[in-house]
Amino acid sequence: MPQMSIAEALRQAIREEMARDATVFCLGEDIGVPGGFGGAFTVTLGLSDEFGHERILDTPISELGLTGIAVGAAMAGLRPIADVQYGDFLFLAMDQLANQAAKMTYMSGGTVKVPLVMRAPVGATARGSQHAQSLEAFFCHVPGLKVLAPSTAYDAKGLLKAAVRDDNPVIIFEHKLLYGSKGPRTEKGALSPIGEVPDEDYVVPIGQGIVRRAGRDVTIVGKLLTVYRALEAAAILAEEGVEAEVIDPRTLVPLDKRLILESVRKTGRLVIVEEDNLTGGWASDVAAIVAEEAFWWLDAPVKRVSAPDVPPPFAPPMEQLYVPSAQRVVAAVRSLL
Amino acid sequence: MPTDVIVPPLGQTVDTLTFVSWYKQEGEAVRAGEPLFVVETDKATLDVEAPAGGVLRQVTARPGDEVAVLSVIAVIAGKAEGELEEFGGAHGSSEELRGNQDVSGAGEGPAQASGVQPSSPPRLLASPRARRLADRAGVPLQDVSPTGPEGAIVERDVRAYLGARGAEGEPAEPAITPVARRMAEEAGLDWHRLRGSGPAGRIVRGDVDRALTGTAPPAPATAAPGLAPADLLDTIPLRSVRAVIAQRMLQSHRETAPVTLTAEADAGRLVALRQDLRSRDLDVSYNDLLLAILARCLQEHPRLNASLVDDQIHLWRRVDIGLAVDTERGLLVPVVRDVAAQGLRQLARQTRLLAERARSGQLTPDELQGGTFTLTNLGMYGIDAFTPLVNLPETAILGVGRIKEQAVWVRDHVEGRPTVWLSLTFDHRLVDGGPAARFLQAVVRYVEEPHLLLA
Repeated sequence: MPQMSIAEALRQAIREEMARDATVFCLGEDIGVPGGFGGAFTVTLGLSDEFGHERILDTPISELGLTGIAVGAAMAGLRPIADVQYGDFLFLAMDQLANQAAKMTYMSGGTVKVPLVMRAPVGATARGSQHAQSLEAFFCHVPGLKVLAPSTAYDAKGLLKAAVRDDNPVIIFEHKLLYGSKGPRTEKGALSPIGEVPDEDYVVPIGQGIVRRAGRDVTIVGKLLTVYRALEAAAILAEEGVEAEVIDPRTLVPLDKRLILESVRKTGRLVIVEEDNLTGGWASDVAAIVAEEAFWWLDAPVKRVSAPDVPPPFAPPMEQLYVPSAQRVVAAVRSLL
Repeated sequence: MPTDVIVPPLGQTVDTLTFVSWYKQEGEAVRAGEPLFVVETDKATLDVEAPAGGVLRQVTARPGDEVAVLSVIAVIAGKAEGELEEFGGAHGSSEELRGNQDVSGAGEGPAQASGVQPSSPPRLLASPRARRLADRAGVPLQDVSPTGPEGAIVERDVRAYLGARGAEGEPAEPAITPVARRMAEEAGLDWHRLRGSGPAGRIVRGDVDRALTGTAPPAPATAAPGLAPADLLDTIPLRSVRAVIAQRMLQSHRETAPVTLTAEADAGRLVALRQDLRSRDLDVSYNDLLLAILARCLQEHPRLNASLVDDQIHLWRRVDIGLAVDTERGLLVPVVRDVAAQGLRQLARQTRLLAERARSGQLTPDELQGGTFTLTNLGMYGIDAFTPLVNLPETAILGVGRIKEQAVWVRDHVEGRPTVWLSLTFDHRLVDGGPAARFLQAVVRYVEEPHLLLA
């Protein structure tokens, strides 16, 4: 079975979906320009040679514009895969995503579909506050949007395919340090997980999480990069005789609540780790769900390990302090034992 | 004037209730109308609200107590009265009051350390998981040593209490010897996970040694026969729902002369009927259809719709059928009243509602008695035939098995047909095999040809 990075897996997913369905097309900034990188992170590299510039559509620098085009195209019967170069730029497209795409099906009594996919890279990579945010929480909060967060190559291909085939607007968040992009787009400090990705067609169901590591003493839930921090923390804790169960929800909306609740009922302790700021974040939502639906099984308070309530810093040592590390997760778990 | 907190009357035939737990502690502020404590009747758990606002005092009921209805189990004092009690009771200064407190065994929260409330007992910090286990196992939390974060009692502490308790109910000792504990802590070993090979399952030095060097413990030299306390997985008190079920099942077994008849019915038409109804958005279950069938059969065979009252067999005009529901707390049998007068849509709605309320513990005692027949269905668990016990004081009970495809002779060839086993247990004191068999025959006929219900 071929081994691929997440960027390669995403590329293969796009290629297969575009070959399968003529209504699928991509639009974004610099995704098909000759001699370009294939988007900011090489995901669309080479696709314009294969599918031409009408289906790999380069847009001007206008996130609001390109998202609006995607919404209109989706409503008219096409299946666009739009992307922004940095997730931080999604704020420019907020009205199109939150007020139009998310609500059109409801407001039309179900007669209008908006089957669009929006891909957005997130995460701090020493490029300053406006190029480093993890803003999944903003979109989890908009009813009508599905929100995905694949952290492995297998999940990236399977979830992107599922998103293209879903008739709802889906936002896929990808972590910049997990792409595994090569050449001039190699990220410093990247994790670049390489994994086995089947050559053939398959989907990962939306709304299904996965247990990355089984354990008995504490449940750690992470997303994107923090799944790996959680696994690192679990390895450290195992040496102390504490077996952590690490869960990767893969889909944020709709959340696989059952998986998380079953795990907490087993272990009695929960730590949620995210790269997002603490207040009003995703970890708070998961903590509230567990406090409501698994309260009687808790043996300790629920802990959130998040970035502090400041914009992501630019100076590398400050950024290291900001982003949750495996050690912070270990400390949080220890405080619950 | 302090307000009495009384145990409310629930249901017409209930004299005592089981007290489950307090939502507030002695000395805590309480608002009028907020949930104050939980009680359990035979088969339902209910929250009781505070009758007034103030401070909770003179708490006498403890989890697990049987409390009489209308008895006083606490008072709610006004703020001023509370203050008077604090400083009027003991004559000494606040320091003396603090010194008189027994703080052993309970975690002291940070507020206590500042000495702000000298006379109320230190608040017990215990995790929900620990409380739940303690409540189910009847463990008094104030006797448990806490080892959890912030000085709280956590699950392992309650388990340690249960594991360390001697058979005669001596006060709990730590489940580990001091030497072993020190060794374990110095080595950074979590000793809660060790099996003790010492007396009463205590963890001894050798166990820690072996855990550190990774060898298995030896078989104890004087192995106690049977299971050691450390083998205890869980304890379920024989109280409330469980106790009632135990008593009633034994009574049925002892007092009736139960005979079970079984018959296999062709369910083809019944299955088709249900599918057709569901395709028209009428979501009926097989139980609903069986209730309708039973109502007709019981009207045609009134000897099976009867109860023994003193030494008379009372034949009832109305058909009220109890439907057995499996819930977390045990078997509950809510009664569907006047089944014969209801259409399928009504029956379906009722059974769904009753089952939900059974599972969430909301059934009132009146809903759980006064049936004339009972229906119990184990088909969803793959059971075919079984021998249900008569639900006294009724005469009979029908058990239903699974609907499964069988190879059946139809005239001159074999066909795959869905069939279902029906098991009728009847009390032979009250009715004989012949009439009971004819009743079951009628049930089989309506199951096989449900359209005859219209005839």
